[in-house]
Amino acid sequence: MLVLSLCLAGICGAEQRDAEQKKLVLQKKQLKARVETLKQEQDYLVFQKTMYESDSKYLIINFAARNMQLKYKDRVLKDVPFKRVLGRVSRLSHGALMLTQKIEGPKERNLLVFGQALVLQGKNAPSTLLEKGIPRVFLSRKNFLSVYYAIESGAKAFILL
Amino acid sequence: MSVMRKEKPEAMDDGRWTREREEGRENLQSTCHPSIVSMFPCLRTAVAVLIVLAVVALSSPAWAEGPAPPAPIKVLSDEIQHLQQQIAQLEEENQGLRNMLRDMDDGELYLVVDTESNRLTMRQGNTVLMTAIVGSGSHQFLKEESGRSWYFESPLGSFKVLGKERNPVWIRPDWSYVEENMPIPSANDPDRFVRDVLGKYAILLGNGYKIHGTKWKNLLGTHFTHGCVSLGDEDLEVVHTSVKNGTRVYIY
Repeated sequence: MLVLSLCLAGICGAEQRDAEQKKLVLQKKQLKARVETLKQEQDYLVFQKTMYESDSKYLIINFAARNMQLKYKDRVLKDVPFKRVLGRVSRLSHGALMLTQKIEGPKERNLLVFGQALVLQGKNAPSTLLEKGIPRVFLSRKNFLSVYYAIESGAKAFILL
Repeated sequence: MSVMRKEKPEAMDDGRWTREREEGRENLQSTCHPSIVSMFPCLRTAVAVLIVLAVVALSSPAWAEGPAPPAPIKVLSDEIQHLQQQIAQLEEENQGLRNMLRDMDDGELYLVVDTESNRLTMRQGNTVLMTAIVGSGSHQFLKEESGRSWYFESPLGSFKVLGKERNPVWIRPDWSYVEENMPIPSANDPDRFVRDVLGKYAILLGNGYKIHGTKWKNLLGTHFTHGCVSLGDEDLEVVHTSVKNGTRVYIY
Protein backbone atom coordinates (compact mmCIF):
# COMPACT_ATOMS: atom_id res chain seq x y z
CA MET A 1 0.00 0.00 0.00
CA LEU A 2 2.81 2.35 0.92
CA VAL A 3 4.57 1.68 -2.37
CA LEU A 4 1.32 2.17 -4.29
CA SER A 5 0.57 5.48 -2.59
CA LEU A 6 4.12 6.67 -3.26
CA CYS A 7 3.69 5.78 -6.88
CA LEU A 8 0.36 7.56 -7.10
CA ALA A 9 1.95 10.62 -5.52
CA GLY A 10 4.67 10.44 -8.18
CA ILE A 11 2.09 10.32 -10.95
CA CYS A 12 0.23 13.27 -9.45
CA GLY A 13 3.49 15.22 -9.14
CA ALA A 14 4.31 14.66 -12.81
CA GLU A 15 0.85 15.79 -13.86
CA GLN A 16 1.17 18.89 -11.71
CA ARG A 17 4.54 19.72 -13.27
CA ASP A 18 3.08 19.19 -16.69
CA ALA A 19 0.16 21.51 -15.95
CA GLU A 20 2.48 24.16 -14.52
CA GLN A 21 4.72 23.93 -17.55
CA LYS A 22 1.76 24.38 -19.88
CA LYS A 23 0.64 27.39 -17.84
CA LEU A 24 4.10 28.95 -18.06
CA VAL A 25 4.32 28.35 -21.81
CA LEU A 26 0.97 30.11 -22.25
CA GLN A 27 2.03 32.98 -19.99
CA LYS A 28 5.26 33.36 -21.96
CA LYS A 29 3.32 33.48 -25.21
CA GLN A 30 0.99 36.18 -23.84
CA LEU A 31 3.91 38.23 -22.52
CA LYS A 32 5.72 37.98 -25.87
CA ALA A 33 2.59 39.25 -27.61
CA ARG A 34 2.38 42.12 -25.12
CA VAL A 35 6.04 43.01 -25.76
CA GLU A 36 5.34 43.05 -29.49
CA THR A 37 2.31 45.34 -29.01
CA LEU A 38 4.29 47.71 -26.82
CA LYS A 39 7.15 47.83 -29.34
CA GLN A 40 4.69 48.69 -32.10
CA GLU A 41 3.12 51.36 -29.92
CA GLN A 42 6.58 52.75 -29.22
CA ASP A 43 7.40 52.86 -32.94
CA TYR A 44 4.25 54.91 -33.49
CA LEU A 45 4.95 57.26 -30.59
CA VAL A 46 8.53 57.83 -31.73
CA PHE A 47 7.26 58.49 -35.27
CA GLN A 48 4.77 61.03 -33.95
CA LYS A 49 7.41 62.75 -31.84
CA THR A 50 9.71 62.99 -34.88
CA MET A 51 6.93 64.45 -37.01
CA TYR A 52 5.85 66.92 -34.33
CA GLU A 53 9.37 68.31 -34.47
CA SER A 54 9.52 68.28 -38.27
CA ASP A 55 8.12 70.82 -40.72
CA SER A 56 6.56 68.31 -43.13
CA LYS A 57 3.04 67.12 -43.62
CA TYR A 58 2.57 63.39 -43.16
CA LEU A 59 -0.05 60.65 -43.26
CA ILE A 60 -1.36 58.23 -40.69
CA ILE A 61 -2.95 55.36 -42.58
CA ASN A 62 -5.14 53.29 -40.30
CA PHE A 63 -6.27 50.04 -41.89
CA ALA A 64 -8.22 48.93 -38.82
CA ALA A 65 -10.33 52.10 -38.92
CA ARG A 66 -10.20 52.28 -42.75
CA ASN A 67 -9.29 55.91 -42.39
CA MET A 68 -6.36 58.17 -43.15
CA GLN A 69 -5.28 61.43 -41.56
CA LEU A 70 -3.25 64.15 -43.19
CA LYS A 71 -1.31 65.81 -40.40
CA TYR A 72 1.10 68.64 -39.80
CA LYS A 73 2.93 68.50 -36.50
CA ASP A 74 0.28 67.60 -33.92
CA ARG A 75 -2.55 69.03 -36.03
CA VAL A 76 -4.99 67.01 -38.08
CA LEU A 77 -5.49 68.75 -41.40
CA LYS A 78 -7.84 66.26 -42.96
CA ASP A 79 -9.63 63.00 -42.17
CA VAL A 80 -10.06 60.82 -45.20
CA PRO A 81 -12.08 57.60 -45.13
CA PHE A 82 -11.02 54.75 -47.40
CA LYS A 83 -13.38 53.99 -50.27
CA ARG A 84 -11.96 50.54 -50.86
CA VAL A 85 -8.79 48.53 -50.56
CA LEU A 86 -7.37 46.21 -53.20
CA GLY A 87 -4.38 43.89 -53.24
CA ARG A 88 -2.62 41.95 -50.57
CA VAL A 89 -3.00 43.97 -47.41
CA SER A 90 -1.37 41.08 -45.57
CA ARG A 91 1.88 42.17 -47.25
CA LEU A 92 1.77 45.40 -45.26
CA SER A 93 3.46 45.73 -41.94
CA HIS A 94 2.96 48.14 -39.08
CA GLY A 95 5.43 51.01 -39.36
CA ALA A 96 6.73 53.98 -41.31
CA LEU A 97 6.80 54.38 -45.08
CA MET A 98 8.09 57.04 -47.44
CA LEU A 99 6.35 58.51 -50.47
CA THR A 100 8.68 57.57 -53.30
CA GLN A 101 6.70 58.74 -56.31
CA LYS A 102 3.90 61.09 -57.28
CA ILE A 103 2.62 59.90 -60.63
CA GLU A 104 0.45 62.30 -62.59
CA GLY A 105 -1.74 60.07 -64.71
CA PRO A 106 -4.16 61.07 -67.47
CA LYS A 107 -7.49 62.61 -66.44
CA GLU A 108 -6.59 63.00 -62.77
CA ARG A 109 -5.68 59.32 -62.50
CA ASN A 110 -2.82 60.23 -60.22
CA LEU A 111 -1.01 57.93 -57.85
CA LEU A 112 0.90 58.29 -54.63
CA VAL A 113 3.40 55.45 -54.51
CA PHE A 114 5.08 54.28 -51.32
CA GLY A 115 7.78 52.06 -52.80
CA GLN A 116 6.65 48.48 -53.28
CA ALA A 117 4.54 48.69 -50.14
CA LEU A 118 1.44 50.76 -50.90
CA VAL A 119 -0.31 52.93 -53.47
CA LEU A 120 -2.93 55.61 -52.79
CA GLN A 121 -5.26 56.62 -55.55
CA GLY A 122 -8.56 58.29 -56.36
CA LYS A 123 -9.54 56.76 -59.66
CA ASN A 124 -8.42 53.52 -61.26
CA ALA A 125 -4.99 54.05 -62.70
CA PRO A 126 -3.55 52.14 -65.66
CA SER A 127 -2.49 48.77 -64.28
CA THR A 128 0.78 48.98 -66.24
CA LEU A 129 1.95 51.60 -63.76
CA LEU A 130 1.87 49.16 -60.90
CA GLU A 131 3.37 45.88 -59.93
CA LYS A 132 0.73 43.24 -59.30
CA GLY A 133 -0.28 42.60 -55.73
CA ILE A 134 0.76 45.95 -54.25
CA PRO A 135 -1.98 46.96 -51.82
CA ARG A 136 -3.94 49.93 -53.12
CA VAL A 137 -6.12 52.26 -51.11
CA PHE A 138 -8.82 54.12 -53.00
CA LEU A 139 -10.03 57.48 -51.69
CA SER A 140 -12.76 59.69 -53.09
CA ARG A 141 -11.47 61.70 -56.05
CA LYS A 142 -11.68 65.04 -54.21
CA ASN A 143 -10.09 63.76 -51.03
CA PHE A 144 -7.32 62.08 -52.96
CA LEU A 145 -6.48 65.22 -54.90
CA SER A 146 -6.38 67.26 -51.67
CA VAL A 147 -3.88 64.78 -50.25
CA TYR A 148 -2.01 64.47 -53.55
CA TYR A 149 -1.29 68.19 -53.74
CA ALA A 150 -0.65 68.55 -50.02
CA ILE A 151 2.34 66.22 -49.77
CA GLU A 152 5.64 66.02 -51.58
CA SER A 153 7.88 63.13 -52.56
CA GLY A 154 9.78 61.99 -49.51
CA ALA A 155 6.79 62.63 -47.24
CA LYS A 156 6.37 60.11 -44.43
CA ALA A 157 3.43 57.89 -43.66
CA PHE A 158 2.77 55.49 -40.83
CA ILE A 159 0.75 52.32 -41.28
CA LEU A 160 -1.46 51.17 -38.44
CA LEU A 161 -2.87 47.69 -38.92
CA MET B 1 -6.29 -33.09 18.41
CA SER B 2 -4.26 -30.41 16.65
CA VAL B 3 -3.39 -28.61 19.88
CA MET B 4 -1.99 -31.73 21.26
CA ARG B 5 0.04 -32.19 18.08
CA LYS B 6 1.54 -28.71 18.29
CA GLU B 7 2.44 -29.06 21.92
CA LYS B 8 4.17 -32.35 21.36
CA PRO B 9 5.02 -32.79 17.69
CA GLU B 10 7.97 -35.08 18.28
CA ALA B 11 5.79 -37.38 20.31
CA MET B 12 3.47 -37.86 17.43
CA ASP B 13 5.30 -40.40 15.63
CA ASP B 14 2.35 -42.32 14.50
CA GLY B 15 2.14 -43.15 10.86
CA ARG B 16 -0.64 -40.71 10.08
CA TRP B 17 1.35 -37.54 10.81
CA THR B 18 4.39 -38.79 8.97
CA ARG B 19 2.24 -39.78 6.07
CA GLU B 20 0.53 -36.43 5.96
CA ARG B 21 3.88 -34.61 6.01
CA GLU B 22 5.29 -36.77 3.31
CA GLU B 23 2.19 -36.41 1.18
CA GLY B 24 2.52 -32.64 1.42
CA ARG B 25 6.18 -32.78 0.52
CA GLU B 26 5.38 -35.01 -2.39
CA ASN B 27 2.73 -32.54 -3.57
CA LEU B 28 5.21 -29.63 -3.44
CA GLN B 29 7.95 -31.61 -5.05
CA SER B 30 5.68 -32.29 -7.96
CA THR B 31 5.36 -28.41 -8.85
CA CYS B 32 8.45 -26.54 -7.47
CA HIS B 33 12.17 -26.81 -7.09
CA PRO B 34 13.10 -27.17 -3.46
CA SER B 35 15.25 -23.90 -3.40
CA ILE B 36 12.44 -21.74 -4.97
CA VAL B 37 10.06 -23.21 -2.48
CA SER B 38 12.23 -21.95 0.32
CA MET B 39 12.12 -18.39 -1.18
CA PHE B 40 8.34 -18.42 -1.70
CA PRO B 41 7.38 -15.46 0.61
CA CYS B 42 10.07 -13.09 -0.92
CA LEU B 43 9.12 -13.97 -4.48
CA ARG B 44 5.56 -12.80 -4.02
CA THR B 45 6.72 -9.37 -2.78
CA ALA B 46 9.26 -9.03 -5.57
CA VAL B 47 6.64 -9.72 -8.25
CA ALA B 48 4.30 -7.14 -6.70
CA VAL B 49 7.07 -4.49 -6.66
CA LEU B 50 7.95 -5.24 -10.28
CA ILE B 51 4.31 -4.84 -11.35
CA VAL B 52 3.99 -1.52 -9.53
CA LEU B 53 7.26 -0.27 -11.01
CA ALA B 54 6.07 -1.25 -14.48
CA VAL B 55 2.80 0.61 -13.95
CA VAL B 56 4.66 3.71 -12.77
CA ALA B 57 7.06 3.56 -15.67
CA LEU B 58 4.27 3.18 -18.21
CA SER B 59 2.16 5.95 -16.70
CA SER B 60 5.03 8.44 -16.63
CA PRO B 61 4.77 11.20 -19.31
CA ALA B 62 8.52 10.89 -19.81
CA TRP B 63 7.91 7.41 -21.23
CA ALA B 64 5.50 8.81 -23.80
CA GLU B 65 7.34 12.06 -24.70
CA GLY B 66 10.95 11.02 -24.51
CA PRO B 67 13.54 12.56 -22.25
CA ALA B 68 12.37 15.79 -20.52
CA PRO B 69 14.27 19.04 -21.31
CA PRO B 70 16.61 20.13 -18.55
CA ALA B 71 14.68 22.02 -15.87
CA PRO B 72 12.06 23.45 -18.26
CA ILE B 73 10.05 25.13 -15.54
CA LYS B 74 13.11 26.95 -14.27
CA VAL B 75 14.05 28.07 -17.80
CA LEU B 76 10.48 29.21 -18.51
CA SER B 77 10.29 31.08 -15.22
CA ASP B 78 13.51 32.92 -16.05
CA GLU B 79 12.25 33.83 -19.52
CA ILE B 80 8.96 35.05 -18.09
CA GLN B 81 10.77 37.19 -15.56
CA HIS B 82 12.87 38.68 -18.36
CA LEU B 83 9.76 39.42 -20.44
CA GLN B 84 8.03 41.03 -17.47
CA GLN B 85 11.04 43.31 -16.97
CA GLN B 86 11.01 44.16 -20.68
CA ILE B 87 7.29 44.99 -20.51
CA ALA B 88 7.77 47.22 -17.48
CA GLN B 89 10.55 49.09 -19.26
CA LEU B 90 8.57 49.50 -22.49
CA GLU B 91 5.48 50.69 -20.61
CA GLU B 92 7.55 53.27 -18.78
CA GLU B 93 9.19 54.49 -21.99
CA ASN B 94 5.87 54.67 -23.84
CA GLN B 95 4.27 56.59 -21.00
CA GLY B 96 7.17 59.06 -21.16
CA LEU B 97 6.66 59.48 -24.89
CA ARG B 98 2.89 59.93 -24.46
CA ASN B 99 3.49 62.62 -21.83
CA MET B 100 5.95 64.36 -24.13
CA LEU B 101 3.46 64.35 -27.01
CA ARG B 102 0.68 65.60 -24.73
CA ASP B 103 2.88 68.46 -23.55
CA MET B 104 3.61 69.40 -27.16
CA ASP B 105 -0.12 69.64 -27.89
CA ASP B 106 -1.42 73.05 -26.75
CA GLY B 107 -5.06 71.97 -27.12
CA GLU B 108 -5.87 75.25 -28.88
CA LEU B 109 -8.48 75.72 -31.56
CA TYR B 110 -7.10 76.06 -35.11
CA LEU B 111 -8.27 76.56 -38.68
CA VAL B 112 -7.44 74.41 -41.67
CA VAL B 113 -8.10 75.54 -45.24
CA ASP B 114 -8.00 72.88 -47.97
CA THR B 115 -7.57 74.91 -51.16
CA GLU B 116 -8.06 71.86 -53.37
CA SER B 117 -11.57 71.09 -52.16
CA ASN B 118 -12.26 74.67 -50.95
CA ARG B 119 -13.18 73.68 -47.42
CA LEU B 120 -12.39 75.38 -44.15
CA THR B 121 -12.39 73.26 -40.99
CA MET B 122 -12.26 74.61 -37.47
CA ARG B 123 -10.74 71.98 -35.17
CA GLN B 124 -9.64 71.44 -31.63
CA GLY B 125 -7.46 68.36 -31.35
CA ASN B 126 -9.22 65.55 -33.17
CA THR B 127 -12.60 67.27 -32.86
CA VAL B 128 -14.10 69.05 -35.83
CA LEU B 129 -15.95 72.13 -34.56
CA MET B 130 -17.25 73.34 -37.91
CA THR B 131 -16.70 73.04 -41.63
CA ALA B 132 -17.47 75.65 -44.26
CA ILE B 133 -17.28 76.07 -48.00
CA VAL B 134 -14.79 78.72 -49.02
CA GLY B 135 -13.43 80.39 -52.09
CA SER B 136 -9.68 80.37 -52.66
CA GLY B 137 -7.11 81.68 -55.14
CA SER B 138 -8.09 81.43 -58.82
CA HIS B 139 -4.64 80.38 -60.10
CA GLN B 140 -5.01 83.01 -62.79
CA PHE B 141 -2.19 85.04 -64.18
CA LEU B 142 -2.49 88.79 -64.88
CA LYS B 143 0.07 90.87 -66.74
CA GLU B 144 0.19 94.64 -67.06
CA GLU B 145 1.45 96.31 -70.27
CA SER B 146 4.32 97.75 -68.27
CA GLY B 147 5.49 94.21 -67.49
CA ARG B 148 4.21 93.86 -63.95
CA SER B 149 2.41 90.58 -63.33
CA TRP B 150 0.37 88.84 -60.66
CA TYR B 151 -0.49 85.22 -60.03
CA PHE B 152 -3.59 84.78 -57.87
CA GLU B 153 -3.13 81.87 -55.52
CA SER B 154 -3.80 81.44 -51.83
CA PRO B 155 -0.68 81.33 -49.73
CA LEU B 156 0.13 77.82 -48.46
CA GLY B 157 1.64 77.07 -45.08
CA SER B 158 1.23 77.75 -41.41
CA PHE B 159 -0.01 81.20 -40.38
CA LYS B 160 -1.15 82.95 -37.26
CA VAL B 161 -4.10 85.29 -36.89
CA LEU B 162 -2.47 88.70 -36.67
CA GLY B 163 -5.64 90.72 -36.12
CA LYS B 164 -9.40 90.87 -36.53
CA GLU B 165 -11.45 93.61 -38.16
CA ARG B 166 -15.12 94.58 -38.15
CA ASN B 167 -16.63 96.17 -41.25
CA PRO B 168 -13.31 96.01 -43.04
CA VAL B 169 -12.45 98.44 -45.76
CA TRP B 170 -10.94 97.06 -48.93
CA ILE B 171 -8.02 99.10 -50.18
CA ARG B 172 -8.05 98.36 -53.90
CA PRO B 173 -4.66 97.18 -55.07
CA ASP B 174 -3.19 98.04 -58.48
CA TRP B 175 -4.13 94.68 -60.02
CA SER B 176 -7.80 95.48 -59.39
CA TYR B 177 -7.53 98.47 -61.77
CA VAL B 178 -5.38 96.53 -64.25
CA GLU B 179 -7.96 93.76 -64.29
CA GLU B 180 -10.69 96.24 -65.20
CA ASN B 181 -8.54 98.15 -67.64
CA MET B 182 -8.81 101.27 -65.51
CA PRO B 183 -6.13 103.85 -64.87
CA ILE B 184 -4.29 103.24 -61.61
CA PRO B 185 -4.93 106.05 -59.13
CA SER B 186 -2.44 107.35 -56.54
CA ALA B 187 -1.94 105.37 -53.33
CA ASN B 188 -4.15 107.64 -51.22
CA ASP B 189 -6.86 108.20 -53.80
CA PRO B 190 -10.27 107.93 -52.07
CA ASP B 191 -11.40 105.64 -54.89
CA ARG B 192 -9.12 102.94 -53.44
CA PHE B 193 -11.08 102.72 -50.17
CA VAL B 194 -14.11 100.54 -50.71
CA ARG B 195 -16.67 99.45 -48.11
CA ASP B 196 -19.04 96.46 -48.11
CA VAL B 197 -16.88 94.27 -50.32
CA LEU B 198 -15.19 92.08 -47.71
CA GLY B 199 -18.29 91.34 -45.64
CA LYS B 200 -18.73 92.17 -41.96
CA TYR B 201 -15.45 90.76 -40.69
CA ALA B 202 -11.88 90.12 -41.78
CA ILE B 203 -9.22 87.99 -40.15
CA LEU B 204 -5.70 89.16 -40.98
CA LEU B 205 -3.04 86.60 -41.91
CA GLY B 206 -0.25 88.95 -43.04
CA ASN B 207 1.11 90.12 -46.41
CA GLY B 208 -2.34 91.43 -47.32
CA TYR B 209 -3.97 87.98 -47.09
CA LYS B 210 -7.21 87.70 -45.14
CA ILE B 211 -10.13 85.44 -44.40
CA HIS B 212 -13.18 87.60 -45.19
CA GLY B 213 -16.70 87.65 -46.58
CA THR B 214 -17.71 88.07 -50.21
CA LYS B 215 -20.39 89.54 -52.43
CA TRP B 216 -20.10 86.57 -54.82
CA LYS B 217 -21.59 83.90 -52.60
CA ASN B 218 -22.57 81.75 -55.55
CA LEU B 219 -18.88 81.27 -56.28
CA LEU B 220 -18.08 79.80 -52.87
CA GLY B 221 -16.64 76.31 -53.32
CA THR B 222 -14.61 77.40 -56.36
CA HIS B 223 -11.26 79.01 -57.02
CA PHE B 224 -12.25 82.62 -57.69
CA THR B 225 -10.38 84.91 -55.30
CA HIS B 226 -7.18 86.85 -55.71
CA GLY B 227 -5.57 84.82 -52.92
CA CYS B 228 -7.67 85.58 -49.86
CA VAL B 229 -10.00 82.97 -48.37
CA SER B 230 -13.67 83.95 -48.76
CA LEU B 231 -16.45 82.71 -46.51
CA GLY B 232 -20.24 82.99 -46.35
CA ASP B 233 -21.64 85.51 -43.83
CA GLU B 234 -22.78 83.05 -41.14
CA ASP B 235 -19.63 80.95 -41.26
CA LEU B 236 -17.51 84.09 -41.20
CA GLU B 237 -19.25 85.28 -38.05
CA VAL B 238 -18.63 81.95 -36.27
CA VAL B 239 -14.97 81.90 -37.30
CA HIS B 240 -14.46 85.56 -36.38
CA THR B 241 -15.96 84.97 -32.93
CA SER B 242 -13.98 81.79 -32.30
CA VAL B 243 -10.45 82.80 -33.25
CA LYS B 244 -8.16 85.17 -31.43
CA ASN B 245 -4.81 86.72 -32.19
CA GLY B 246 -2.28 83.93 -32.43
CA THR B 247 -4.75 81.25 -33.51
CA ARG B 248 -3.04 78.96 -36.00
CA VAL B 249 -4.29 78.80 -39.59
CA TYR B 250 -3.00 76.00 -41.83
CA ILE B 251 -3.56 76.47 -45.55
CA TYR B 252 -2.68 73.63 -47.89
